[in-house]
Amino acid sequence: MHESADEHALERILGKNDEMADHNREHFRRSKTCVFNVMSAPGAGKTTVLEWTFRNLDGKFKPCVIEGDMVGNLDADRIAKTGTPVYQISTGRSCHLDAQMITRLLHSESVEKSDTIFIENVGNLVCPAEFPLGEYKRIVLLSITEGDDKPIKYPVIFRNCDLVLLTKCDLMEHVDFSLEEAEKRILAINPNVLVMHVSAKTGYGMEKWLAWIVRQISEYQSEIKKIAHVHHSAH
Amino acid sequence: MHEAAIAQSIIDIVLRRLASIRSDNAKAQRVSVILGEFRNVEPESLAFAFENMREFYPELTECRLDMETISAQAKCQKAQHLYHPEPTSFYLCPICESGIGCLIRGEEMDVVNVVIEIPKAEEEKRHARIG
Ligand SMILES: Nc1nc2c(ncn2[C@@H]2O[C@H](COP(=O)(O)OP(=O)(O)OP(=O)(O)O)[C@@H](O)[C@H]2O)c(=O)[nH]1
Ligand SMILES: [Mg+2]
Ligand SMILES: [Zn+2]
Repeated sequence: MHESADEHALERILGKNDEMADHNREHFRRSKTCVFNVMSAPGAGKTTVLEWTFRNLDGKFKPCVIEGDMVGNLDADRIAKTGTPVYQISTGRSCHLDAQMITRLLHSESVEKSDTIFIENVGNLVCPAEFPLGEYKRIVLLSITEGDDKPIKYPVIFRNCDLVLLTKCDLMEHVDFSLEEAEKRILAINPNVLVMHVSAKTGYGMEKWLAWIVRQISEYQSEIKKIAHVHHSAH
Repeated sequence: MHEAAIAQSIIDIVLRRLASIRSDNAKAQRVSVILGEFRNVEPESLAFAFENMREFYPELTECRLDMETISAQAKCQKAQHLYHPEPTSFYLCPICESGIGCLIRGEEMDVVNVVIEIPKAEEEKRHARIG
């Protein structure tokens, strides 16, 4: 019997997805495109936040959206109404986007022309966490109607993200949700994350969100310039 | 639900290892994986998906999936105490009550070993060729 059992045999199960994600990331670095992976449970307000963003961005960047949904193109239609180019990926029975799905869109016209891409993942707090897409930053939304215990129940996604938006804050008086408790719980899982309170309906906190996005884009641009410089002087 | 995608990835790894053996009749007997507590994998769903999918590959129909769950170990944010982060205590350090700093263990999701059977006759032929 043949046994392949040495140390080198250790192989990441989702290694292929990680490789494709790295491929996408490298592509985006070359095209200087800043990419955000936006994740949440169904209905936490991803599309609404994006709609607000495009109606208020005031030419600060040139976005494009990739919409992941199991069926239909309802969200893509909403985004298109804001005048932002949008691509729809129908994932069928798959409950998450994977890196390969993004790879297929790398040479699409609007993806090539924009400097910022928002990928709206399939509404789900479990599966998308396991599939990096080649993004620069990960954003997780938690609406206050979902309950402040969700970070405890879905630690993986909250640990592996850069920003958490606590959304629908206009509904504060109708639900038992402690912003303070939620934030404490998120920070206990992920000390490096930033937590913001917003309402895309009233605009509360949304300027701060927009400023964060703009800052990420400019930090990304200077980061890749530095990398390009290092590459250059190495040759 | 993504356990199906994970099962498929495991199968792809086994198929690649089988291909690298370059024997027509090699069959996979067992694939062993480790799954960290801080990964989103439900072992039962994974086993179910794997058992259903292996039927489509003749060289895998008898392949067993061995899963080992790796319990998490964290260093706390405040004092680097080592502890097991538990949901019931909100993942806080039992000594100083600060949260998870880094995770030393618990984020694994790897194939550690594939056992492949090469039919005896063929193995002898190989040895003869080598010897
Ligand atoms: N009150 C209130 N309702 C909101 C807010 N943001 C979104 N909603 C509502 O919540 C519902 C879901 O919002 P979406 O933006 O579609 O949520 P989503 O995360 O994109 O949903 P999926 O893509 O289906 O997962 C809609 O009915 C929105 O009108 C908000 O800030 N306040
Ligand atoms: Mg949506
Ligand atoms: Zn401690």
